[in-house]
Amino acid sequence: MAAAHHEPPVLELRDVEKSFGSLRAINSVSLALRGGEAVALLGPNGAGKTTLIRCICGLTRLDRGSMQILGHPIETEGIRSALGLVPQEIALYGDLTTKENLYAFARFNGLSRRASRERVRWALKWTGLEKRARDLVGFFSGGMKRRVNLACGVMHSPQILLLDEPTVGVDPQSRQRIFRMLEELRDAGTTILLTTHQLDEAEQQSDRIVIVDQGRIIADGSKNQLVEQSVGASRLVKIRVDRPLKGPLKMQNHLSGEPLGEAGKDVVTTRIDDVSHHLTDLLHSVRQNGYDVSDVEVHAPSLQHVFLHLTGNELRDG
Amino acid sequence: MIWTVWQVNVRRLLHNPMELLLTFIVPIAFFSIFAVIFGGGVGIGTTPKIKVIALDQWDSEISRALVNDLTENQGLRFMRSPSETNLTTEEAKQLVRRGNVGMAMILKQYGDNVAVELLTDSSDQVAAQLVTAIVTESIVQAKVEQQQQSIRFAATSIPPGAAGPIPGNGAIANPVQVVDVIGEGKSNPVVSMYAAGIAVMFLLFGATGGGGALLEERENQTLERLLSTRLTMDQLLLGKWFYMTAIGTLQMLVMFAWAQLVFGVDLVGHFDGFLIMTLVTALAASAFGLFLATACRTRGQLSGISVVLVLTMSALGGSMVPRYVMSENLQQYGLCTFNAWALDGFDKVFWRELPVEALAPQLAVLLISGIVMLLAARILAIRWELD
Repeated sequence: MAAAHHEPPVLELRDVEKSFGSLRAINSVSLALRGGEAVALLGPNGAGKTTLIRCICGLTRLDRGSMQILGHPIETEGIRSALGLVPQEIALYGDLTTKENLYAFARFNGLSRRASRERVRWALKWTGLEKRARDLVGFFSGGMKRRVNLACGVMHSPQILLLDEPTVGVDPQSRQRIFRMLEELRDAGTTILLTTHQLDEAEQQSDRIVIVDQGRIIADGSKNQLVEQSVGASRLVKIRVDRPLKGPLKMQNHLSGEPLGEAGKDVVTTRIDDVSHHLTDLLHSVRQNGYDVSDVEVHAPSLQHVFLHLTGNELRDG
Repeated sequence: MIWTVWQVNVRRLLHNPMELLLTFIVPIAFFSIFAVIFGGGVGIGTTPKIKVIALDQWDSEISRALVNDLTENQGLRFMRSPSETNLTTEEAKQLVRRGNVGMAMILKQYGDNVAVELLTDSSDQVAAQLVTAIVTESIVQAKVEQQQQSIRFAATSIPPGAAGPIPGNGAIANPVQVVDVIGEGKSNPVVSMYAAGIAVMFLLFGATGGGGALLEERENQTLERLLSTRLTMDQLLLGKWFYMTAIGTLQMLVMFAWAQLVFGVDLVGHFDGFLIMTLVTALAASAFGLFLATACRTRGQLSGISVVLVLTMSALGGSMVPRYVMSENLQQYGLCTFNAWALDGFDKVFWRELPVEALAPQLAVLLISGIVMLLAARILAIRWELD
């Protein structure tokens, strides 16, 4: 669900800072989430994503800055009940059944006994674990535990859901299942802030991506916006020719000011801004140089390129 | 909220057969072993000073000489100077019943001789035998000296062959009579002592285990998750405290029910005193467990520290070996432990059969130390709320 920009933010952070000794974990972070928006905090391990989530939940005290939930200061009594937290670890009682875990967290979140029982029924259906309701969670697969972990965070129907690496360590099938569950929440209007270091998760599960590195927000926007802001809209083109080049190819001026390719290699690589026009010209230039084209690859810029461009590091470098 | 914490912990326990076994069956097994081994009164090999008082009801030269002789004995410690002792026999019995003294000696005239009645507490199986031997030896010694003096006197003042019978020679076959003022008609006192001793030791182990659950929750981030809900740290600690107290109380109840069924300890007859002692001991032990857990960083650290602490406290406090066989210094050090105060309380309930009011010192010490530990745990837990 796209965010309505005229609405006030449901969660707002202003100049938030947190240090642990000499390490500045969060450095002047400002961020606003609007109702129903899904935002991914993308960054390597140690970037400060989890610390930011902990600050929002009140589990870590801020050194500086302010936060508001639903327009109220975060210190307001009871305002944090608008938040739901799904921690990175499987924070469940392994020696309780699915039903007992769900019921306990519903009660801890302030639901009445009756409301808790109703919500447990909903959660079992939502997670697809109705048949495992009476089984001990400790014996579940990683994916099933993740689903229960997620359900326990939404038992009180929070308006804002904070997910810290919600799919870490699960198989692709379980991951897709969790994504579907998150989509249902988004459809129901829940605002989602998730941390991840997985590019596809950030792309699929968010309207907006906030790239975090070394405690700072270094970019904020939709994927297309981030691409345009950083690497631009150009496409990487790789052309394989029928034989090794005798020397660099002379190209039309609007494609490349300098000759392309190296003697002895059969691949020519370049960037073009307008695929619909320039790709044809590029292929024509290659043929004009006396070579036949045996293969063409066109790569759109990815978040990986964006991250590399912005930080100078691969995302998984940490 | 507190009720939910309580329920969660009960359900977790019910889902863990091994923990159930460790909580309820292992203590019974340990207690039974100790009760069988020591129930017969064997296995005691030290001779500490025995607290006594002497009532000289004859007040003669012979009886005074005997008391003087006894006061010099290294094995006895007179709690009041014999000359100051102006008690009735009933008052002396009360002192023994309350445990103020281990034994009262009542010196009486028996013809020309002195006879000694020992009012004992048979829970101390060493004291009665030891004091009987000491007193008998002193009487015989006094008699020998008396005879030697008579012979010397006769040799100097009476012509040879004119000696009559030796004065005071009307010997009694057994000059020392032992009267058990507490244990008559009761089951072996060592059994109830070991029931309490083992139960308190396992109560402490259970409490540190319960505290370990808190560290487990912290390590797997469940604690953070809980604190991100409406549950507060106060509610969490109180919920755990009540749960651990309830389980501890149940554990003690099961233990003493077994002791009644198999070893004849009168639980039903002393239920009021048992219940209040058990509740307060369990409250204190639970607070101790929470304090240890909040003071430790990891479960491994807690496990190591708790084993050493609980075993040391149990050894010093009398859970393993009765404190009355320990030296006086050790007995004093023992008062720094939960076990000693708890066992003294259970001793008053089951052995001395004192009214509940008499448990006030033990209850006060356990309750105050429990509350102090709980407050300390709360203060230590602040660091978990805001890292």
